[in-house]
Amino acid sequence: MFAGYDFDVIERSLGYLFREGMVFTLTLTALAMTGGIIFGTLLAMMRLSSMKAVSAIAGGYVNLMRSIPLVLVIFWFFFLVPYIGAWIIGAARPIAVGAFWSAVITFTMFEAAYYCEIMRAGIQSIPRGQVWSGYALGLNYWQSMGYIVLPQAFRNMIPVLLTQTIILFQDTSLVYVISATDFLGAAAKVANRDYRLVEMYTFVAAVYFVVSYSLSLLVKRLQDRIAIIR
Amino acid sequence: MISIQNISKWYGSFQVLTDCTTSVAKGEVVVVCGPSGSGKSTLIKCVNALEPFQKGTITVDGISVGDPKTDLPRLRARIGMVFQNFELFPHMSVTDNLTLGQVKVLDRGQDEARQRGLKLLERVGLLAHKDKYPGQLSGGQQQRVAIARALSMDPIAMLFDEPTSALDPEMINEVLDVMVDLAKEGMTMMVVTHEMGFARKVAHRVIFMDAGRIVEDAKKDEFFGTPRSERAQQFLSKILHH
Repeated sequence: MFAGYDFDVIERSLGYLFREGMVFTLTLTALAMTGGIIFGTLLAMMRLSSMKAVSAIAGGYVNLMRSIPLVLVIFWFFFLVPYIGAWIIGAARPIAVGAFWSAVITFTMFEAAYYCEIMRAGIQSIPRGQVWSGYALGLNYWQSMGYIVLPQAFRNMIPVLLTQTIILFQDTSLVYVISATDFLGAAAKVANRDYRLVEMYTFVAAVYFVVSYSLSLLVKRLQDRIAIIR
Repeated sequence: MISIQNISKWYGSFQVLTDCTTSVAKGEVVVVCGPSGSGKSTLIKCVNALEPFQKGTITVDGISVGDPKTDLPRLRARIGMVFQNFELFPHMSVTDNLTLGQVKVLDRGQDEARQRGLKLLERVGLLAHKDKYPGQLSGGQQQRVAIARALSMDPIAMLFDEPTSALDPEMINEVLDVMVDLAKEGMTMMVVTHEMGFARKVAHRVIFMDAGRIVEDAKKDEFFGTPRSERAQQFLSKILHH
């Protein structure tokens, strides 16, 4: 049945796949997660602000990002970021950002919309009395957020944040549209060079499955542990 | 010390407080009682601006609470507050609960704050629990920590919002004892509570509220002797004869 296939191609390209591709994928995931959670938390605080304009700006941003297909955002940023960068630093010509940093910025901006909604739910899950007691001690808004609300909101939301991160990990494969060499991109290059499409894509799917599934098991265990602490 | 002048407050079109006027002098203990929904918790939260109000003025130590120019965090830091549900910070140890405000608001050093916190913890009889988390303490213990936390800021007055209503009956006294001691030391206190025993023991004045109005504001003996309003008489007869 497998007579026509050559699975050795996987072994031969393992180094390239993981050292180039997977490192790219994981770095992108980690950076976009960190940036996305920070930016998303700020967006969540803005959305919950009593200042209508601030809340509307954040709400508009989140709804915009969640209404556009990710592939489109990736494309759009890839072509636009060099111009925005040039505009920011006042350069005459578009600056070379490169596929990697373009992807990091895109995913951070895009995922922030989703992390925002998670953090918003997390912040709202903290009873009002907690905020009151912080204020009663004389803490200001930023202090009560930083020391009281966000640490608790974040802890409550860790499982959901990680689940979103697993989705992010899978979504990063879309950077193939800007020819970046992520895990899928690396595999695609080998597949096309050696004409081993079935072998490579099957292997890639298996790796994505193993990583995502193990992570989701980890999240489940974490969830049970947090439930006990509470 | 605390002066409340003609306070009215609405939630949308629903009026929760109507023209409330009263005051708490330095060293005075004033108990606020009344049926649920009478606005007593709302009124006490107006005193340190946790609840905004639309009409009237409240001043604490001469500073207007409702004035937009008032530095609210600074004012609140000088008023201790104890809540019905304790509201200790569950993600911090007891010691950290006691030092957070001192360090971040009063700019005390970590050591100084810790010493002050532990001293107060000893005073409420919980020094042995200093490294525990709030979730590991009973309700009565949590509330005593909450009182110690409020005291750690060296407040000029203390507000208590139904401090014993969320407690099991057997834990009420350990909290009331701390409050009685505090009252006897001359702390200025405004206490929303149904504990009439506490009121009898240490209150100077009792305020009775009903439907958002202050119906009765009398010296303790007058209040327990012959309340002037019928509504207060009814209320007292219901909660005292059980």
